[in-house]
Amino acid sequence: MSSTASGERHGVVPSYLLARLAESGRFPKAAAAARQTLTAGRPPFRARIDLSIDENGDLVAQLSDAPNRTISDAGNTQQLPGAVVRGEDDAPVEDAAVNEAFDGLGATFEMLLAAFQRNSLDDAGAPLEATVHYGVDYDNAFWDGERMVFGDGDGEVFQGFTGSLTVIGHELAHGVVQHTANLDYHGQPGALNESIADVFGALTEQYSLDQTADQATWLIGAEIFTDAVEGAALRSMIAPGTAYDDDELGKDPQPDHMSGFVRTTEDNGGVHINSGIPNRAFALFAIDLGGRAWERAGTVWYRALTGGLSSTATFAEFADATLAAATAVDPATAAAARRAWTTVGVYEDERVPSTD
Amino acid sequence: MSESPPPTDAQVVIAVVRTGGIAGIRRQWRVEAESDDDAVEWIDLIDRCPWDQDTDAGPGADRFVWSIRARTPSEHRERELPDSALDGPWRALVEAVRAASTIRSSSDGRHPINPP
Repeated sequence: MSSTASGERHGVVPSYLLARLAESGRFPKAAAAARQTLTAGRPPFRARIDLSIDENGDLVAQLSDAPNRTISDAGNTQQLPGAVVRGEDDAPVEDAAVNEAFDGLGATFEMLLAAFQRNSLDDAGAPLEATVHYGVDYDNAFWDGERMVFGDGDGEVFQGFTGSLTVIGHELAHGVVQHTANLDYHGQPGALNESIADVFGALTEQYSLDQTADQATWLIGAEIFTDAVEGAALRSMIAPGTAYDDDELGKDPQPDHMSGFVRTTEDNGGVHINSGIPNRAFALFAIDLGGRAWERAGTVWYRALTGGLSSTATFAEFADATLAAATAVDPATAAAARRAWTTVGVYEDERVPSTD
Repeated sequence: MSESPPPTDAQVVIAVVRTGGIAGIRRQWRVEAESDDDAVEWIDLIDRCPWDQDTDAGPGADRFVWSIRARTPSEHRERELPDSALDGPWRALVEAVRAASTIRSSSDGRHPINPP
């Protein structure tokens, strides 16, 4: 049972309920949690209260982290942030793009919290901000360093970007990367930045659908091409290079092995191209381990990202970081990580992990 | 567009390449002046752009990266721009090239994308 506040709705946990709980002698744990929240002076982060009855018939109240979302509308201009159209406590609005963005931000927040016990992008309850209807026929969704921004697409190649949970998870993951390893957005660290964003995007969708690794599509952006495009998605993590093959757009250029690593000055040194290599390593690793990808594979990747990874990390350095994190889980997990990086050619066969 | 043969005698040629974006899909547009009057208009758009001004890519991810090349009888210009800098005269130039390139593709019987 979740709390419902009637009348005023300033917070997920209304102040009057917190005050009552703080005084409670019957529910000491809930009282302590409520006092903590009140002592902090209605802190800027959001909290959620879950009320349930335990086996003794006692009321159990638990406070947990909650998202704080704000969706703005750029009105088809390129001015950010635009006008606020929906806040955390607001009901759905008529504009589907607004509601899709709102729900996608929430789904990403839930995945980060459930899988990694991470409270939003900065692990301190950072507000989740997004702007929809950016530009005219704008063919992109991006992270601007503070918020995620959605174009509407041109309607010929791309349709609205808010309809793809993998895209939303991907963009918010850039915020997580920014608050952690802050990987340079160029060359190999840039491709790792892109790959980790795809990993979190895929995990957000899988968590939302409660899929196991072998049930997942491992596609990124499967919803945003129009029917006119010959393609399933923007990228395939399990089979890089196969997501689309279209007369106008060309063929998916992603390599699936280090032997196909693309050297280019375009796209910040091919960050959206070479990300195929670590993408495939993760998908292979997750499928090899089996079960839900966010639980073991995702946790290993997350610990590698947040365990002191350099902002200039190469594929090999990141692979080493994942192997260290996997080794801390158990030998089988470590062996699976090593197999994955070997299959994509980041580790040579029988290679001993190095720090080069 | 990408399959067009390189011009040999056009007075003005402008090529725009867009890479990056969450899709990471490369798109390109190209236009040639078809008459002297046409060339004057394109050169005017080219000259309005601050080709030598520094730009900062800024923070963030998945922004487009623009590569703009222009050849006129007197010069050959080339510039890479982050999406955040594609404003004012730069945007006017790029949008004009995209519009002209699309019109030409359509008039050649080619469409920017396969018809549904």
